[in-house]
Amino acid sequence: MLSRVVLVSAFLNHALSLSLVQASRSLHTTSQSLAPVPSLPEKGGKVRHGIFPEEIFQLLYPKTGVTGPYMLGTGLLLYMLSKEIYVINHETIAALSIGTVIVYGVKKFGPDVAAFADKLNQDKVAKAQEVKDLAMTSLSQAIEEEKKEQWRAEGRSLLFDAKKNNVAMLLETNYRERLHMVTHEVKRRLDYQVALQDLNRRMEQEHMVNWVEKSVVGSITPQQEKESIAKCISDLKALAKSTQAMA
Amino acid sequence: MMLSFFDQFLSPTFLGIPLIALALTLPWVLFPKPTTKWLNNRTVTLQSWFINRFTQQLLLPLNLSGHKWAALFASLMVFLLSLNMLGLLPYTFTPTTQLSLNMGLAVPLWLATVIIGMRTQPTVALGHLLPEGTPTPLIPVLIIIETISLFIRPLALGVRLTANLTAGHLLIQLIATAAFVLAPMMPTVAILTATVLFLLTLLEVAVAMIQAYVFVLLLSLYLQENV
Repeated sequence: MLSRVVLVSAFLNHALSLSLVQASRSLHTTSQSLAPVPSLPEKGGKVRHGIFPEEIFQLLYPKTGVTGPYMLGTGLLLYMLSKEIYVINHETIAALSIGTVIVYGVKKFGPDVAAFADKLNQDKVAKAQEVKDLAMTSLSQAIEEEKKEQWRAEGRSLLFDAKKNNVAMLLETNYRERLHMVTHEVKRRLDYQVALQDLNRRMEQEHMVNWVEKSVVGSITPQQEKESIAKCISDLKALAKSTQAMA
Repeated sequence: MMLSFFDQFLSPTFLGIPLIALALTLPWVLFPKPTTKWLNNRTVTLQSWFINRFTQQLLLPLNLSGHKWAALFASLMVFLLSLNMLGLLPYTFTPTTQLSLNMGLAVPLWLATVIIGMRTQPTVALGHLLPEGTPTPLIPVLIIIETISLFIRPLALGVRLTANLTAGHLLIQLIATAAFVLAPMMPTVAILTATVLFLLTLLEVAVAMIQAYVFVLLLSLYLQENV
């Protein structure tokens, strides 16, 4: 990105834009480079006896072995004492006492303080982890529920089929009912016509019979009536005789 | 050359170059700058935790306009604490043993609180000069006494810090000298003296921390009255 700025500035007023590029460098918050940031070490450098870095021991090991740095330290100390470069006076006693206090404090409270600092960082990480875990569980739960909804949606087509069947049956029933009603009504009307015809014929028949009876009865003259009665009597007598004869 | 007991309180010079500026700014080197990283190393974590907790506790009784002093109080506390604690090491110079430094810190800050009180709420500020429930005949006397007490405050602040630290350092020197001198002559007495010195050093560590805290606490109290 900086190269782009440089190119642009080369086209514009040369001196002014170049100085602007350099002057605004103090306001930059990032390094303007896309190279990956090197990761920080997790723990501090290793030290021996609290103050001497392990690297000194490693440095002196090839030439002087394990006891090399200790010999160096003792030699330096004795040199400073014997040449009175370092004078032993009351300050040495004071240094011994404050040194004891410091060493005692570090040995006793050091691990606790370190654990406390680690715990502060761990709590931060745990909080973020909790957010992430919560998000993940809620998302996986959402996936489960979505799958369930999909299954339900599949079942819904069965439900629709059943409902469609229901409705078809209802329509069918309704149709049959109406068909039945129609036939019934038609039959009723036809029956009425038939009954009407029957009635007509019967009345005609009765009328005819009555007329025939009336004309027959009317045509019977009193002469005929007497003749027929006499005949009936003579028949009866003959019958009675025949019966008596049989019995 | 012979060391007298008061040489430790001389403003340090080296070949005529005064080193007081170095002595005052050296503690700054010991406090790492808070990074832009999310998780820091133990030093930075503890430092941030301490400053956050301290500022939160100190600003609890102050109302909102007093919170403007948060940065000042926190930095003053860290400054005084580091100067005091570093002064306990041998052959070091403690700037807070100088009355000039302590008065230079106490008077302007105290005066700032008084002026803030007088400008923003003069009635309340003047009302502090008379405690509640005093009997009427005592009022004039009490006003005078309270005014004197008000003006003694910066003196007390400065002298308290100076006296505590100077006395502590002197005692350490004296008892260490006693132990040093007695060591060849009466070793057992020297050991007793060394024990006394050890206990005194423990006390001095506590005093170093407490005096720094008391300085800042009293300033926050004066601010609380006036803001």
